[in-house]
Amino acid sequence: MSAHTILAIGPGRRLYSRFANRLSWRSAPVILGAVIILGAIIIAISIPWWSPYDPIALAGRRLQPPSWGHWCGTDALGRDVLVRTLYGTRYSLTIAALVLAAGVSIGSLVGAVAGFIGGLLDSTLMRLADITLSFPPILLAMAIAASLGPGLVHTAIALIIVWWPIYARLMRAQVLNVKGLDHVDAAVVAGALPSRILFKHIVPLCWSPILVNMTMDVGQVILLASGLSFIGLGAQPPTPEWGQMIAEGASSFYSWWIAMGPGLAIFLVSLSFNFLGDGLRDLFDPRSRAST
Amino acid sequence: MLRILLKRLVLMPFLILGIVTATFVLAQFTKGNPLISIIGARALDNPDIVAAAKARWGLDKSLPERYLIYVDNLAHGNLGTSFRTKQPVLQDLADRLPATLELVICAMIVGAVTGILLGVISAQFRDTPADHAARLFALLGSCIPMFWLGLLALFVFSVQTHLLPGPGRLDIRSDPPNTVTGFMLIDTLLAGDWDGFVDAVRHLILPSLVLGWSVTGIVARMVRASMLDVLGQDFVTMARAKGAGEGRVLFNHALRNALIPALTILGFTFAYLITGSVLVETIFSWPGIGSYAVDAARSLDYPAITGVTIVGGLGFLIANLLTDIAYAAVDPRMRSAA
Amino acid sequence: MMATGNLWRRGLFSAASLMIMAASGALATAGTAQAADSEIVVARAMDLNSLDPARAYCDTCQIYLSAVYDTLLTLAPDNKTIVPDLATSWEVSPDVTTFTFHLNPAATFSDGTPVTATDVQWSMERLKNIKGGAAYLMDSLKSIDIKDPHTLVVTTKTPNSEFLGILSATYVGIINSKLAMAHGANDDDNASTTDTADTWFLSHSAGSGAFTLQSYKADDALRLKRNAGYWGKKAQVSGVIIKQTADAVTQAQMLQSGAADIAMQIDPDTAKTIHDPNIVFQTVPSYNYVYAAFSPIAKGSPVPLTHDVREAIALAIDYKGAIDFTVGGAGNLQPSAIPNGFPGTADLPAPVTDVAKAKALLAKAGYPNGFKIGLEFPAMDVYGIDISLLAQKLQQDLAKINVSLTLKPETFNVWVGDIDKPGVPFTIGFFAPDYFGSAQYAQYFGMMAGMPWGTRAGVGTTPGLDGAAELVAFNKALAAGPSAQEAAYQAIGLQMIADKIILPIVSPDLVLAYAKDIGGMRYSACCNLPLAEIVKH
Repeated sequence: MSAHTILAIGPGRRLYSRFANRLSWRSAPVILGAVIILGAIIIAISIPWWSPYDPIALAGRRLQPPSWGHWCGTDALGRDVLVRTLYGTRYSLTIAALVLAAGVSIGSLVGAVAGFIGGLLDSTLMRLADITLSFPPILLAMAIAASLGPGLVHTAIALIIVWWPIYARLMRAQVLNVKGLDHVDAAVVAGALPSRILFKHIVPLCWSPILVNMTMDVGQVILLASGLSFIGLGAQPPTPEWGQMIAEGASSFYSWWIAMGPGLAIFLVSLSFNFLGDGLRDLFDPRSRAST
Repeated sequence: MLRILLKRLVLMPFLILGIVTATFVLAQFTKGNPLISIIGARALDNPDIVAAAKARWGLDKSLPERYLIYVDNLAHGNLGTSFRTKQPVLQDLADRLPATLELVICAMIVGAVTGILLGVISAQFRDTPADHAARLFALLGSCIPMFWLGLLALFVFSVQTHLLPGPGRLDIRSDPPNTVTGFMLIDTLLAGDWDGFVDAVRHLILPSLVLGWSVTGIVARMVRASMLDVLGQDFVTMARAKGAGEGRVLFNHALRNALIPALTILGFTFAYLITGSVLVETIFSWPGIGSYAVDAARSLDYPAITGVTIVGGLGFLIANLLTDIAYAAVDPRMRSAA
Repeated sequence: MMATGNLWRRGLFSAASLMIMAASGALATAGTAQAADSEIVVARAMDLNSLDPARAYCDTCQIYLSAVYDTLLTLAPDNKTIVPDLATSWEVSPDVTTFTFHLNPAATFSDGTPVTATDVQWSMERLKNIKGGAAYLMDSLKSIDIKDPHTLVVTTKTPNSEFLGILSATYVGIINSKLAMAHGANDDDNASTTDTADTWFLSHSAGSGAFTLQSYKADDALRLKRNAGYWGKKAQVSGVIIKQTADAVTQAQMLQSGAADIAMQIDPDTAKTIHDPNIVFQTVPSYNYVYAAFSPIAKGSPVPLTHDVREAIALAIDYKGAIDFTVGGAGNLQPSAIPNGFPGTADLPAPVTDVAKAKALLAKAGYPNGFKIGLEFPAMDVYGIDISLLAQKLQQDLAKINVSLTLKPETFNVWVGDIDKPGVPFTIGFFAPDYFGSAQYAQYFGMMAGMPWGTRAGVGTTPGLDGAAELVAFNKALAAGPSAQEAAYQAIGLQMIADKIILPIVSPDLVLAYAKDIGGMRYSACCNLPLAEIVKH
């Protein structure tokens, strides 16, 4: 995701032409993405009320291909794959929300303080971020998840550790930019407390790139978390987590439908957040709007 | 430029120390027991056996002691012995590194070629359906979970249609070539084993396509952006004005210049490719570092986990250094700026 | 022993693995298959923890060690009779503590040096002193005296009628002591820290068996080569490759494509998907089983797990249904913790299901409306059984007597620690034998002080489990002559059934799957798959 982040704010990035088809072409993916995400959130919240089957209990005969009774078939334990896939939205969205909320909070705080105060504190904190960023994320996450033991909570902790430095760097760069602006100088002259200056006058101006990155990163968090579950370091059976379900599909290989539902789900959700992120960037980033 | 390089190099020992420290601290919290992979589960009930195994593997010492011993060994280039394979971690890694490198390099070629092609198409046909299609295709690669795509690919191309072989690097019954470089493509050729070479190529196709597609999007974006930059510049307009064919303008003038910034992105793709190789190696039973890392993590083989992470960090560092050097080499401004 | 971690979640990797020979198409196996004198490929999820006989302890280790290291004695194909291997004859003293062995003077190691009494003594003492996983086999060893180069006398601390069975265990393989010592091995008291031969054994073998180690690459393949100078009946195939193949699906595909000749870990489900005239499926009863178990002293149970409560739960389990559910009917009921076919199991009563009686017992115990209890288990596949699936079956069964199970799947590593500390009130476990003999079961599952399950169940503190009766019966069995053993172990078996601590649920059949041109396949209680007997036509 680090490369992704760099790209997302890179100056070379150009978007669609602001001329032809601007509304229709540019908006279609954003709208589609937003609709899918909204749908996923609604499903995640409401599924226990209307699900025809329990995601963990037997729902029918084992290893049945898709049919009217089971649209996505049943798995090796006779559970309904569609129901499990829909339940999976809860785990994936929760973990993405948790990781990004914590990663962004920690990262932003560290970045803001480092950028604002500067000096030794700045270099210490940023070297810490550099160190974390110098390892391939999955290896770092695996080392952490393996040490803590498998489980969704531990996966989340591992991913937070992987993600915070990205936001620390981003926030620091923003703070450094904004620090020199006139209204900040004015606040300093007026004798405002440093903490007030930072949180009232600087930070509010720094949010938009963070928000765009967060949106783009949701897909990455979901992919990495499900990847960890797939290799057995994340969610454990019988949790209907997508990566874990694909692993189960792999062991009943001829029953291709078992992995189909969760595979498509990961793909759709991650694509939707990418679309949405693109849209948000257009909205927030004056450069990307002006550059074409 | 030189300063950036130096800074990275100076940071490296701290990086490694950091990861060693982190794994040691984290190991304190684990619920699992690494002894299981050393002596087997049932022997855990026998205090004599447990004590002997702890002494043999240094697990009887306090954490700080173990930490100091490890760091001391590390300073001498010794990564310890794997609990699981019982071999020096360094040797395990050396055995498996070529497999991973071969896969990652092939995937990088796939990603670069498809990315450049799609990037050029999208820039040339900006805002047309061809542009949207190319960009969507590139984006799909980074949104489809690789471990699922790998399964599908195996199911379709190997199980159903028998077009390509399944997992592994070579057919099991064929004798592997003598290990010279560890790269199957090279070793089979050195051994004059043409059939073996073809077999190795066929085994590489699916995993490198799956892995390569995941970075197509990154490369395509970069190429598209810099192509758009270049296409708007004077010398391109000049070339067009002079009546050069569009193909010639595109490839001779524009692409050559647009590739310079795009080249540097290859370093960034390394992070993606390593992540991907862990998953893809698992799916394709590829005997590389990635699958080694997975096995190590599952059996709480701390020396191996730490070793893999350190080597991964080093690989990352080298990739970044190469990127910096490449950038400096192609961009005179960078050189003078430093 | 319990399968080690590698088998967990057969799945994954696999799918992976589809070794499939798609390759088939092109270069498949050209030129490698000269009948009668060719290599055979065994597709297997290897759980090797070492290739050193004194340190190894796993299912695949049994296959490897039996092929490469001959033992003093071995188990005949009837899986009951102890027959000569390196020892041509032996005498046992009437008090069952002194064993005299006469070695075959023709026996040689693969490098040509003769097998002597010194090697035997060295190997057994090293097994004991290295304190590896199988060291417990030598627990009763007191002394070994060498009478002459081909005669030795072994004395045990206490009567041990099972010692001959133990000596047939593959872990007691006899090592070429001179060769091994030259590479860092020793049999000293402190061998557990001073012996450094572990790594050497990964690339060399030092046995007198029908095969020698050609090469081993972890996570890839184990290659064996026929021992051309073998002193006994030479192996029928020129070599064996055991190819790491993580899961059943891949193993099946390798068989179908011809990439593998033999697979032993194909579950009945997968076997059903294969209709191939070139593949033979042979189903044999195994000595492996999966059981449910109680730790009445463990914290976390909402109600005391008294005998009535345990018996009620035992009666509520639908054993036959569980066999259908987990292995498609390809399994057997098992009365006690001693597997079917082992000494003492001939006439034991099979477990029964009686929901009405279970409810009555529960009411008598004071819980007519049932209760809620956790079931922690290792979420993995063993012997073709998905334990998560079995746990869900138990959940359904116990719901009938209003006992509501909360499933707590854990990874193997975590579960194995949890059952000892802090202890798990209700769990599912699994077990496979190390050699042919019932004492290992009494020692692991018996309600005796100091034994693993005796400790977990709280012998001495839990009402009704004083540990006395089984200890008496066990000592009697150990001192018994061959004819009296059956009755002695039966007494232990009956006591275990009455204790209601270990509830064996299913003993799954083993599916031996192999190509049609393979012969000589059999499953051995000591050695798993005797490779030396395999033929390729």
